[in-house]
Amino acid sequence: MLDLGVASTAMLALLGQGRCRVEIADLAHFGGVDRLNSMEPGPALVGAGEALLPNRCSADVVDLVFCWDLPNYLTLDALSALMLAIGQRAGPGALAHALIAYSDRDMREEPGCFVPTPDGELMDLSAAGNAVAAPRYSPEDLGMNMGGFVIERARLLSNGMQEFLFRLE
Amino acid sequence: MFERGKKNDDTIESQDAFHSESEKTFGSFRSKTSDRGGDVAVIGSSIQINGDLRGDEDLRIEGNVSGTVKLKNSALTIGRGGKVKAGVYAKSIAVDGETTGDLHATECVSVHANARVQGNIIAPRVSIVEGAHFKGSIEMDPDAVEQALGKSTARSPKKTVEPKKTGPAADAKPAPTETAKDAGAASSPRARSA
Repeated sequence: MLDLGVASTAMLALLGQGRCRVEIADLAHFGGVDRLNSMEPGPALVGAGEALLPNRCSADVVDLVFCWDLPNYLTLDALSALMLAIGQRAGPGALAHALIAYSDRDMREEPGCFVPTPDGELMDLSAAGNAVAAPRYSPEDLGMNMGGFVIERARLLSNGMQEFLFRLE
Repeated sequence: MFERGKKNDDTIESQDAFHSESEKTFGSFRSKTSDRGGDVAVIGSSIQINGDLRGDEDLRIEGNVSGTVKLKNSALTIGRGGKVKAGVYAKSIAVDGETTGDLHATECVSVHANARVQGNIIAPRVSIVEGAHFKGSIEMDPDAVEQALGKSTARSPKKTVEPKKTGPAADAKPAPTETAKDAGAASSPRARSA
C-alpha cells in the first residue's frame, strides 16, 4: 500500500490488522509538490515523481494508493507524471483513492492530514490555514491525467469534495 | 574513550571506532539514567561519528552519526538534536530527531512528533505520532521482520489486507448524478473536519 500523505498511527493501526507493507511518501512535507509543479512535462518529470516515492524494500507491487487530496495541489502534468511513476510499481488492477475539490471554489493552502477512524470515517486533522483557489479538476481532466489509472467509481461528498476510486488498467 | 577521541578532533572517522566489546565503548560516554532505571550512554550534541557503532548498552544520540548502528539487545533513542544517517539495528528505537536510513528493531520503533525520518522501518510494532514527518516503507509482518533481522522464523499462513476494508473509497458508489447533499448524507466513510 502506498500512502502519499502524512504517516499516522491510526492508519498503521488499521493496516496492522492484516499483513501488508505500507509505503508512505508524505509528498507535501518532503518538498514533492513544489518540485513536481516546477518541472516541465517529460521523462524527467516522471523520474522526479519516482524519486519522490519511498525507496523500495521489496519487489512486491503496490495494489492500493491513497492520494487523499494531494492531486488538487499538483498541476495536471505533475499529477500525470506522478501517477505514471506510481503505476510503474503497481500491478494491473491496483486501486487509487483521491479526494478532489469539486463544488468549493477554494481549498486549504496545504494538503490535508487525513486519519481513518475505527468506525470507518475519515478525520481531517489539518490546522486551519489560508485558502487558495481550487483547480476543481473534472472527471475528464482526471481521466486523462492519472497515468493509466481510470475512474472506477466516484461520488460527491457533502464537504465539497468528490471522492474517486481509480483502477490501473 | 570518548574523551580520548575528542582530544584531537570531535570527528571520529573509523569503521571500527566503536566495535570494541573489550573497550566498554558506550560506557565511557557521558551517561545518564534511563527511564528504565539503568544507565544509558549518550553521544553529545557536539559529536560527529562516521563508522560503525556497536554495543550492548542503551544509547541516546544527540549528535551526528553516519554509518551503521547496531545495538541488537538494547534501546536506541535519537534525541531531538540527533541526526543519524545510518542503517540502525536495535531492540527498540525511538526517534525525536532526524534519521536517514533503514530502522530495524526486534521490538518497536516509535517516531515522535517533530521527528523527521527518511527510510524504511522494519519492526513488529511501529508508532508514528501525528506531527512527525516520515517517508519510507513500514514492514510489520513478523516473518519479514525476523527475516530482515536475520532470525529463524516460524512461518504462519500469510494474510493480506483487502483493499475494500482499508480504503475510504471502499464502498464508493458511482454517483455522477447525486447531489452533494444527498451524497454526503449517504456517504460513510466520509471526510469531515476535526
